[in-house]
Amino acid sequence: MATAAGKDADAAPQEEYMEPSLTWLDDPQTFRVNELPAHSDHCCYADAQEANERCSSLVRPLDGQWQFLYVDQPGLIPERFYSPDVPADRFGLIEVPGHIELSGHAQVQYTNTAYPWEGSVFRRPAYTTPPDDPQAVSFSEAPDNPVGLYRNTFVLDGSWATRPLHIRFEGVERAFYLWCNGEFVGYAEDSFTPSTFDLSPYAHSGENLIAVAVFRHCTASWIEDQDFFRFFGIFRSVSLLSLPETHVDDLDAKPTLEDDDHTGVLNVSARFSPVQDGSKATMELADREGNVLVRSTVEAQRQTGWPIYRLKDPHLWSHGDPYLYRLTLTVTDAQGGVVEVVPQAVGFRRVEIGADKVVRLNGERLRILGVNRHEWSATRGRAITQADMDADMEAIMSNHINAVRTCHYPDQLAWYRMCDEAGIYVMAETNMESHGTWQKLGGDDGSYNVPGSFPQWREMVIDRARTQYETLKNHPSILFWSLGNESFAGENIVAMNEYYKKADPTRPIHYEGVVHNRRYEERISDFESRMYASPTDVAKYLENNPKKPFVLCEYMHSMGNSVGGLREYMDLFDRYPQYVGGFIWDFKDQALQVTDTVTGRKVMRYGGDFDDRPTERQFSGDGLFFADGIEKPAMREVSEEYGRYER
Amino acid sequence: MSDNIRIVIDEEMIGLHACGHDYLFDYRTGLVSLKIAGKEWLYNAPQPAFWRATTDNDRGNGFSRRSAQWVGADLFSIPGRPSLMVGGKPVAIPYTPSDGSTGGQLHASEASLCYTFTTPTVPSTKVDVCYTLDTTGSLTVNVHYYGKAGLPELPAFGLRMVMPTPATGFTYFGLPGETYPDRLGSGKKQLVAVEGLPVTPYLVPQECGMHMDTDWVRVTRETTLNNADAAIAPFSLTFAGNSGSFAFSCLPYTPLELENATHQEELPPARRTVLTIYGAVRGVGGIDSWGAPVSEGCSISGEKDIDFSFVVRS
Repeated sequence: MATAAGKDADAAPQEEYMEPSLTWLDDPQTFRVNELPAHSDHCCYADAQEANERCSSLVRPLDGQWQFLYVDQPGLIPERFYSPDVPADRFGLIEVPGHIELSGHAQVQYTNTAYPWEGSVFRRPAYTTPPDDPQAVSFSEAPDNPVGLYRNTFVLDGSWATRPLHIRFEGVERAFYLWCNGEFVGYAEDSFTPSTFDLSPYAHSGENLIAVAVFRHCTASWIEDQDFFRFFGIFRSVSLLSLPETHVDDLDAKPTLEDDDHTGVLNVSARFSPVQDGSKATMELADREGNVLVRSTVEAQRQTGWPIYRLKDPHLWSHGDPYLYRLTLTVTDAQGGVVEVVPQAVGFRRVEIGADKVVRLNGERLRILGVNRHEWSATRGRAITQADMDADMEAIMSNHINAVRTCHYPDQLAWYRMCDEAGIYVMAETNMESHGTWQKLGGDDGSYNVPGSFPQWREMVIDRARTQYETLKNHPSILFWSLGNESFAGENIVAMNEYYKKADPTRPIHYEGVVHNRRYEERISDFESRMYASPTDVAKYLENNPKKPFVLCEYMHSMGNSVGGLREYMDLFDRYPQYVGGFIWDFKDQALQVTDTVTGRKVMRYGGDFDDRPTERQFSGDGLFFADGIEKPAMREVSEEYGRYER
Repeated sequence: MSDNIRIVIDEEMIGLHACGHDYLFDYRTGLVSLKIAGKEWLYNAPQPAFWRATTDNDRGNGFSRRSAQWVGADLFSIPGRPSLMVGGKPVAIPYTPSDGSTGGQLHASEASLCYTFTTPTVPSTKVDVCYTLDTTGSLTVNVHYYGKAGLPELPAFGLRMVMPTPATGFTYFGLPGETYPDRLGSGKKQLVAVEGLPVTPYLVPQECGMHMDTDWVRVTRETTLNNADAAIAPFSLTFAGNSGSFAFSCLPYTPLELENATHQEELPPARRTVLTIYGAVRGVGGIDSWGAPVSEGCSISGEKDIDFSFVVRS
């Protein structure tokens, strides 16, 4: 089923389907059905007061207890479970957001490169084997593809019953189908980015039923082979959005600093949908003290731009001084009444790679004192809370860490705003890792690596790049886009690189995988990026007329009692201007806290402790912090060494 | 100089006594009793320490396997019969019952006993452990490892003392936090007080709690195994560098106990204090956990001699 191939790469692939098909799970060419195009993660408010209080009457969370039924495989899904006519007799309850495994319904498993089905079900990625391969096993009919069936109701009244209604899922592993009041709404993959659907055609005033079928596996499982606990389910928030008559659907705010180092340029555009005739939109930029620097009103159209605004000597954004200006869009109707207010923090800064291959922020050399960070809680897994994020940020700030690589997927949206405010440099990683398709015991083998160069896998990964870019583009904290992790290299990653380059010329692009496939060196990545190269090897690259600046996207594997020799990496800063620094692997141990049945103590468990096979045991226990957030002794060393170079 | 050291040469033990410090040396095993003001400090005789629990890095880079012989050395090295020097002169130790010597009691201003341990490694090597008592009751301990060609790198080298009950804490003058030769950047030397005997809760128990570059450490206990001693009051013992600083760890477990556990909860209840004074420590490494060696200069050759010395005092 070819639904997306051949589409214009600049537009989100869109196909209208009235009836869902389970075969979408088997085809990398179907990855979003009836999903709304990705758009910026701005927040919408009905008026200025709501915006100031950060409490929106346009957004309604759907988090909490949902009806839930777990079935072992796709063939066991009860007929019309999604219909209001069919009572949910067999359903229990589950907490959303959360992982199905941690609710006790499915077995916990931790594996690194090996796919969870290794040795149990023979599979190869779709289109990498000859057609009609008798060994091919589909996900839609698989014995190892359990399904989580969710149902929830909500009541619409007042203006909510008459205005357009969107639903947003911020993160669902790994593929899901959505119904509203018994009618099929859409299908989504890409677990770690938001998926938004228009519920307007299906919802009505009074009580509404939404139903979601979440599948543990689909073709995306091949490229979501992150080294982590394998979970599935609705693990991030779900919310409803009620759209005013004119609504800022997408905001693109580009504050930059010109090469003269003194001129700030603000270029703001927006997409409105819906948009009523006579609506106007005012763009206002204020400094931190609230002084309005520019105010400009234009007619709201589907594509709307404001005049470019130039600012002499803007207060620049950086780690040491994360100065944010406040941009506000105020939308009014034909009568002049306010219908929507969108606040957006913006920061003026310029990140560039000079002809001398030195990376500079606002004209000054940039030193990355980074960590890789998985979202993790010892009790909630990746379904972390704001309190978890607050604690992580506090630990980062108090230990002189100035950068975070989001390994290897986009994080919760709140995290990027927190990084904007704290001045943390972000290397934003696209949701992709496929090391199980090419890292073999016998060494590297790209013969069935996906996405590779298979045309059927191309649009899916470009879409992941697009969704990440469109969602996160307004965050000053993001200095670099990263194409993902350990997925080897091929034409499809070239296409992702080209997408980011075209969509966003202001941010350099990172990808480590070309190290394993040097044929693509000229076409992928603005950095020479390595993992775990020794200080000697780093020096060797930098001493031989480096073609690119050098970054260690992963280094100092902090597994158990480790982090010896950090000083030698720090010394490289003093010797090589093209050395950008690196991201320690990683921030926090991934382990789960459970009650020991023998002692009754709260204890940490890792891979294999749940009878799970295959597993990589404690290999995910490689944080600077233990899974419960307690600092490991090595943190002191990092804090001391990073502290010398922090700025 | 007063001759207030009393030396009791008996049939199985030699006792050295001065100023309320009482030391008993067993002819077969070493220093078996270190008693100050009536409180016993040893559960068994100090042993040369050749092992520290392996880290994830050690296992990943094959070090544990390459150096596995040292586990055996750590467990099963045995001392030969000690030699006694009193006032700088060798004194014959009775070889009961047939050599005719009867032992006796001497007084002197200095006395020392030396044991030579032999390792069960291939090839075998030796370690000298010498104890010298001065008139204040302080005991100077000199340890010498004889390097031997063909022996693998050592994880650590020190002298391990197991105390009868768990310490309530320890105080030291040195670097704060857990430090290793390749992880020293934790600030300036200072007075550090540690409560209890913390074991760092690594996911899989492993080497932890090392303190490099220490001038002295003072261990405090409150309980004894003596059934007639019901007093609950702190009492302490101090270990100080003799000519230079040392490394130490003070834990409730031996390296082998740590090595055996796959989770923290599998460690036995803490019942004793394991204090190890180290003359050499291997780095923890950190480039990766699947093959990279530790930094140059942070490994310990088994082929070179190692010397260290410290003083035990009340």
